Amino acid sequence: MSVLTAYRRKSAGSLAWHIGSLAVLAVVLYPVLWVIGGSLKPSSEIVGSLDLFPASPITKNYTRLTEGIADIPISTFFVNSLFLAVGSVIGVLISCSLAAYAFAKIRFAGRNALFAVMIGTLLLPYHVLLIPQYVLFQKLDLINTYTPLLLGKYLATDAFFVFLMMQFMRNLPRELDEAARLDGCGHLRIYWSIVLPLCRPALITSAIFTFINSWNDFLGPLIYLNEPDKYTVALGLKMFVDQDAVADYGGMIAMSLVALLPVLAFFMAFQRYLVDGMATSGLKG
Amino acid sequence: MGTTGSVDRRSLLKAAGASLATLGLTAAGCGSGSGSGGGTVTIRYAWWGADDRAKKINQTIALFEKKYPKIKVKTDFQPYADFWTKFQTQASGGNPPDVFQNAIGFLRKYNDKHVLLDLNAQVKAGNLSMDGFRAGLDAFGEVDGKLLGIPVGSNSMSLVIDKDAYRRAGITPKLGWTWDDYYAGLKKIHDGQHIAGDTGPMGIMYVYDLVLRQAGKAFFTEKDLGFTEADLTEWWNKGFEGVKSGIYADPKKVEQIKPKAGLSDGLSAGEFTWDNFSVRYTAEGKGNYGLAPIPSTDGKTTGQYLGSLMLSGSARTKHPKEVAQFINFMVHEPAVAKIMGYDRGVPSTTAQFDAFKPSDTVAQGISAYETQIATAGVLQTITPHPAGADTCEAAFLRIANDVSLGTSSVDKGVKQFFSEAKTALGT
Amino acid sequence: MTHIQDAAPERLVKSSGAQDGPGPLAVPAALKRRGRRENLAGLLFLSPWVVGLLLLTAGPMLASLYLAFTDYNLFDTPKWIGLQNFTDMFGDPRWQKSVRVTLQYVVIGTPLKLLLALGVALLLNQNRRGQAFYRAAFYAPSLIGASVSIAIVWRSLFSDDAVVDRAQQLFGMEAGGWISNPDMKIYSLVLLTVWQFGAPMVIFLAGLKQVPNELYEAAEVDGAGTWRRFWNITLPMISPVLFFNLLLETIHSFQVFGSAYILGGQGSSCGPADSVLVYTCYLYDQGFANGRMGFASAMAWLLLITVGLVTAVLFWSQKRWVHYEEGAR
Repeated sequence: MSVLTAYRRKSAGSLAWHIGSLAVLAVVLYPVLWVIGGSLKPSSEIVGSLDLFPASPITKNYTRLTEGIADIPISTFFVNSLFLAVGSVIGVLISCSLAAYAFAKIRFAGRNALFAVMIGTLLLPYHVLLIPQYVLFQKLDLINTYTPLLLGKYLATDAFFVFLMMQFMRNLPRELDEAARLDGCGHLRIYWSIVLPLCRPALITSAIFTFINSWNDFLGPLIYLNEPDKYTVALGLKMFVDQDAVADYGGMIAMSLVALLPVLAFFMAFQRYLVDGMATSGLKG
Repeated sequence: MGTTGSVDRRSLLKAAGASLATLGLTAAGCGSGSGSGGGTVTIRYAWWGADDRAKKINQTIALFEKKYPKIKVKTDFQPYADFWTKFQTQASGGNPPDVFQNAIGFLRKYNDKHVLLDLNAQVKAGNLSMDGFRAGLDAFGEVDGKLLGIPVGSNSMSLVIDKDAYRRAGITPKLGWTWDDYYAGLKKIHDGQHIAGDTGPMGIMYVYDLVLRQAGKAFFTEKDLGFTEADLTEWWNKGFEGVKSGIYADPKKVEQIKPKAGLSDGLSAGEFTWDNFSVRYTAEGKGNYGLAPIPSTDGKTTGQYLGSLMLSGSARTKHPKEVAQFINFMVHEPAVAKIMGYDRGVPSTTAQFDAFKPSDTVAQGISAYETQIATAGVLQTITPHPAGADTCEAAFLRIANDVSLGTSSVDKGVKQFFSEAKTALGT
Repeated sequence: MTHIQDAAPERLVKSSGAQDGPGPLAVPAALKRRGRRENLAGLLFLSPWVVGLLLLTAGPMLASLYLAFTDYNLFDTPKWIGLQNFTDMFGDPRWQKSVRVTLQYVVIGTPLKLLLALGVALLLNQNRRGQAFYRAAFYAPSLIGASVSIAIVWRSLFSDDAVVDRAQQLFGMEAGGWISNPDMKIYSLVLLTVWQFGAPMVIFLAGLKQVPNELYEAAEVDGAGTWRRFWNITLPMISPVLFFNLLLETIHSFQVFGSAYILGGQGSSCGPADSVLVYTCYLYDQGFANGRMGFASAMAWLLLITVGLVTAVLFWSQKRWVHYEEGAR
């Protein structure tokens, strides 16, 4: 087989791959296109409209956003949301990876029982916890601050991420930490120098999910924050429509697209780290 | 990768430290909103609504703070459903806003739970005046002798119609027209113009309330439902027949265009709603909309009353005097009416009513409508709904929709409603 | 929950890799010392989680457990009523409906979403150009899916004569719009969540990246085809993340709330005809809109027990099919 035919075959495969991927993508992205089209329609034409794009697109929905909502510049909501999202990511990465390491790599007494408790905390719908937690934070005089929204992130209350990181840590080749252990490394060294770097895909994944969850969280900010200028984007999005008002669907849809940009940017910035996992991290030696 | 990795980690740690520090600062810097220091008092004011109401309210608060420099008002708002979720959580936790927007369905509910401030003491103390309210509105927020809510704007049920569709069918609804006239009109519209005569009133609690009032009953008594299973069976049978015959809009189509209204989408030629909601039809739809009177049974009684949004105080507020002064300002100050217009209904005091002369035709229509029913003398008074009324209203709407879709028979639906109402009202 | 304990980390399949590792050489005394050290380290690493559990989670959870046996309207003192909330529940037609809707949702939605996520992850795990673009594009629905505007979009896609209806007509089906059809609306909800397959996809991708290349290279030398490589290498190697995704997607499906709430319109009604009244929606409706927090807590704990049992079965099953690198020590 000559180099040339191999190359041709490879590029033909590549073409087929791209065509296939784009076909799937077209179906998946159709509703997103609808949202983009909707943001270019006047409010009265958005609901119930069957067309993807309007005959005469308008930009009013976007320019309207520069006026702010309820006398608050849109940027305020974005700054607040960013602060919460970044703060959450840092908290989850630290606290959840520590807990995950303990469950995955340390053999301590009571591990099984605590693990069961952790899984148990995943199983209760959070709605029934809202009011007791509210009362708790109120007793601590922390209502109308960001603390109730962040504290849990620094205390690894999100079992999802502990469990996620744990699954990855358990899949690391066991020879590595055995070897480190024989070299006299303590758990902190192994956690910091071996396990964390090798778990980068899991950490990045957790970071992305945490960012998005925090960005989209609605009920938490709704009950804990009492002043609109502390509000997040998710709350701001709800300021366009109410039963008593003439609904501004155009503004709402335009803002939901603008609100997508920081999350998309965060995803784009970090997704490349998903690529260099184990396969390229120098483990081979 | 080794070096960049450790730099990443170091900067990560730094950022973590910074973020924890800010956490501490935030916690220290912004305590509870209702503390008082240096003679100024801060009160929290919460309401439901959207962007445009927020802008108007902010202006009125600026006026208030100018007149009362020692009172600071912090506002908070959400859409209706979220507002009540938040209010419920905060009130249950013992931390409700000092003053908040309220409605008739919630007066007894939150009075039973000792959440609402009795404003009578403040009236006596001269911080709040109950003079100058229109058509009996001063008694609207009274429950068992307690003054629990002060009306800020009145509204009344009305029939919003597509005026062109009615004209083409040769129907002119006027005060005193009857349900028979109304049904005949719907049929005429449906036969001649291939649209439904009405979006369908069978699930609107407030319309059925009027029908019952015309027969000397009401939807609610002080503690219970004011009608029987047989009454409701008759109303829903009539509604379901209307759906089948096409004088009411196809409930499937109505479902598909939500949250748009059937009337503004051109599915029907009219629908019942609060008169101050009529603004949205002109904004949403292409037709020429107007307000028509409520049909009657005897050619006279419509059963109508002026409803209203209210301002209520919280029983736990540390500043009842300031709350009363705030409410007083919002309901009596003419400048407030000039800003708010008919946003929360037609202003409830004559001073405010006279201060705002609407310039757009929709608001003029609302004004004319309320003046018309007031001078015609059809207005009655209303007993505050029992606790659990909000749940009954939601169940009524939902089950009526099931019935009109045909997923539940009328008999089954009526049974289901009465069973849910029993749970909600605790009877 | 005893099953979970059985299946907890200690008792896992011994991997082939583990056999090559250094075996346990320690004498009993050293073991004991090491045991104490391990306990201390475990405590230190877990301390944030333990504090969080005690401070934020345990109290409210126990409170809700107590409330499950009371009549509690959020304001008055809870009144102990024993098991009445549970008996009320079983006789409540709307509760029964919510169980049916939720089971339908879990059974149809979870496998579909996982299959789609794994399929796209495999597609994206190849070395092609434009990977960053594809990953972001496939993830986009998960970013926008939680937005309120999606309710309007879904209504428009699933109305009479809209895209989905036209596609149906091509295949000769006359179902009309799904959004207003009480029998079909649940499928529009399922599709809404399946559509947001980004999270499991990313986890699959991260798992796929963890598979060492040399395994594939060795298999290629042995002449293994694509399918055999997938079956013998990829699937066992990603089985921990597959397990994770299966478990978490199942748990999340049982607890689904946001999308049903958004699609249902009109507060927590989740209609028409309760067609998307999932369990948690009804719980929220009863707890918040109707102020029956005792009843809602009872619902929550019944869900916890049910999902706990499902979880236990999954944990038990992993012995048979999940492959971990670490071995028992």
